[in-house]
Amino acid sequence: MTGLTNAQIDNCAAEPIRIPGGIQPHGAVLVVEPQSLRILQASANATDLLGPGYVAGAVLELDGYVLDWVRLADGSNLLQSFERDGGLFNISGHHMPQGAVLEFEPLDQGEASSIEAMFPRLEAFADAILPLDEIKAVAGAVADQVRTVTRYNRVMIYSFDPDWHGTVVAQSTDGTLPSYLDLRFPESDIPGQARELYRLSPLRIIPDADYMPVPLVPLLSPVDGQPTDLSFTGLRSVSPVHLQYMRNMGTYASMSISIIVDGRLWGLISCHNEKPRRVPLQIRSACNFIAKIFSLQISSLQRGAHAAQRIALKQHETTLLPKLSRADKLPEELSKHAAAWLSLTNAQGAVIVTEDGMRSVGETPSRHAIEALVAFLKSEKQDRFATDQLSAVWPGGSAIADTASGILAISISQLHPSYVIWFRSEVVRTVTWGGDPRKPDDPQERLTPRKSFEQWQEVVRHRSISWTQAEIESAEDFRNALLNFVLLRAEERAEMTEELERSNKELESFSYSVSHDLRAPFRHIVGYAELLTAREQNMDEKSRHYLRSIVDSALSAGRLVDDLLTFSQLGRTNVAKSRIDMNKLVAEVRRSLEPDLEGRNVQWKIADLPPAWGDGALIRQALANLLENAIKYSTGRDPAVIEILGSNDGQQTVYRVRDNGVGFEMAYVHKLFGVFQRLHRAEDFAGTGIGLALTKRIINRHGGEVEALGAVDEGATFTFTLPEGGRDKPNA
Amino acid sequence: MPDLRPILLVEDNPRDLELTLAALAKCQLANDIVIARDGAEALDYIYTRGAYKDRDPGHPAVVLLDLKLPKIDGLQVLETIKSDPAHKHVPVVMLTSSREERDVLSSYENGVNAFVVKPVDFNVFFEAIQDLGMFWAVLNEPPPRGWNDR
Repeated sequence: MTGLTNAQIDNCAAEPIRIPGGIQPHGAVLVVEPQSLRILQASANATDLLGPGYVAGAVLELDGYVLDWVRLADGSNLLQSFERDGGLFNISGHHMPQGAVLEFEPLDQGEASSIEAMFPRLEAFADAILPLDEIKAVAGAVADQVRTVTRYNRVMIYSFDPDWHGTVVAQSTDGTLPSYLDLRFPESDIPGQARELYRLSPLRIIPDADYMPVPLVPLLSPVDGQPTDLSFTGLRSVSPVHLQYMRNMGTYASMSISIIVDGRLWGLISCHNEKPRRVPLQIRSACNFIAKIFSLQISSLQRGAHAAQRIALKQHETTLLPKLSRADKLPEELSKHAAAWLSLTNAQGAVIVTEDGMRSVGETPSRHAIEALVAFLKSEKQDRFATDQLSAVWPGGSAIADTASGILAISISQLHPSYVIWFRSEVVRTVTWGGDPRKPDDPQERLTPRKSFEQWQEVVRHRSISWTQAEIESAEDFRNALLNFVLLRAEERAEMTEELERSNKELESFSYSVSHDLRAPFRHIVGYAELLTAREQNMDEKSRHYLRSIVDSALSAGRLVDDLLTFSQLGRTNVAKSRIDMNKLVAEVRRSLEPDLEGRNVQWKIADLPPAWGDGALIRQALANLLENAIKYSTGRDPAVIEILGSNDGQQTVYRVRDNGVGFEMAYVHKLFGVFQRLHRAEDFAGTGIGLALTKRIINRHGGEVEALGAVDEGATFTFTLPEGGRDKPNA
Repeated sequence: MPDLRPILLVEDNPRDLELTLAALAKCQLANDIVIARDGAEALDYIYTRGAYKDRDPGHPAVVLLDLKLPKIDGLQVLETIKSDPAHKHVPVVMLTSSREERDVLSSYENGVNAFVVKPVDFNVFFEAIQDLGMFWAVLNEPPPRGWNDR
């Protein structure tokens, strides 16, 4: 952090620098109405410089081609030299909504010819800088060239960083003025609106910092009654703050040329002279040309560096992606390739955070800190987030500045807060400022250009090396690749689900065929055997026994088909829950089992049962199976005792069916609920071996559990639970 | 007084047919039993056309209709009968092997009068058929004779 206050910036930013109402005295300005060629405004020195007729209200008299240009108003600019009354002038012009603005500057004899000598020199310069592949080297050559043609004492190449602080990256000097090479100047030295003006109008010159401004007459534009916009007027009077700044620096003449790279103000060529100095228009144009070449060279070098880095980073992506595409679990796989992962953005640490947890490699903050960081990123709601100074955007950043001063994060899910985050450690740097940027000289003054240019060193903390555009793009590419994987995987899952649904349907139609076609033959066997039995009245006992066995076998096969179907159906049918009166249900089931009780002495002990929450038909089936078992396995007991109990603890209802029958060995309890698992020989107890499996499936589908307790000859106890729910729902 | 209009039995499986006839015989019903072996034949009978174009006019007392039939299946036959105002009052009992609930549901949607899953146990089957025959052929009060008859 620099700790800069905004007071100075704001003050200076409020200066009306585009509409100063006056010009510098080394030339004259006329504002002309294009159709009538009537002079709308004239600088007060126009009559001195050009002659008596150049006042507001007069019709412009000049060479025909100038008048033609004024009338044409096609957006082109004018730049000519011409002779008048023995004096040589440069004339330049541009059109504005308030009229055509013409600027006149007297030209010394000899200057006009020197311009011809300039072009071979510029050509040689362009050839010389072309092979240079470092911006700093090009900047040095530019500074030398500009100083040679302008003969200023010092020419600096000033470059803006992303925060608009400036650094002098190259300098050419004759030793008259102090060296500012490598010094840093705060953003407030060239405030925002000045930078915008620099971007629009490429060259400014101040021949004498002590000049007296010359006003326009009249002061306001007759077109709209507003101050005249002199943004593009080279002779525009500059802010008194800036003049004071120059005097404080010990420089009385200056020129600055904007360096625009890809539409952005990259920096300035800043020229200073100890004594007042005027550089003629032709030389200025040559400098403009140098600046343009410089801009192009910077642009091409930046693009080249960017492309080279993109290619280098792409290689890491190329090694990484094939491995990730085949991986089952992305985070695990990613953490196996730490080097490539980190190299994607030249980071020192990285983490992937998904709904399943996080995996990190290299130097990262603690798990706890990362969780907090993820919460911050989530609140930012951006697909990509990059900073080289986390503590400046998030208060939690200071505590983890050692490992995470810089973060580059990509969001990898629309649904969950899932991120890949790269970390860069703090790099402590010492910056030498051209004067302490935090100290205003006199806070009482309205505008206070600083007087001190003593070097001042600042230690910059909580900052990492900045992420380059190529690194950020690499992260974005990686994000797109990951999102594609996720999408692909979702598609595969959807396909698998479809496949499962299809095979489920097939199974269903298979069950249907079984139910329809397999039952029929059994039905026929039983039917014909019964018909035969009825017909052959005097069959011997053996034949009768055979026929009965045929009927019994076919009947049990039919039951088996029915039970299996019920079992498989249970997986498919929906559980339609409602409140069930269990007392009523038990009574019904008991009634349906009455045929099994013939010739038996069964003692029922049925408690008052709490109501259940479930599918009535299914619970009835489960209960029937348990009671059937209790009756079956207590055959031979006199009396057989069957107990039914129930309770409700608020979370679930619990029911218990207990008998005093043959019981079972607890060692085999795990087999009890399996399909076709039997613990007794078939001739001892009839049954298909599906009943308990069915009961378990029904209870489980309700979210409950079944449990059996027993011992040989000591009876069995079956307990099942049903979760409570829908207490406030009406009975379905 | 017993309704002596015939019972229409629609059954393609010869064994089921034989067993059902045996069960109906035990009921000693006076009604004639007309047998159709597929859905198309059944509809020919109902609509007095094809092989049945010269039959005595009138609706059957009850249609015992198997679900799975060649040519036109049971549900289609049911739908045709129940969606035709001239025939929709004819009682239809679905006889089937299947307990699949979708059959039950779609049958009831089409206005079936009863639905009987053929039990494996012949005695139960016998009782079911007997009950059906008795109820629909004897006890159930049909619409007045001549009402919508052709």
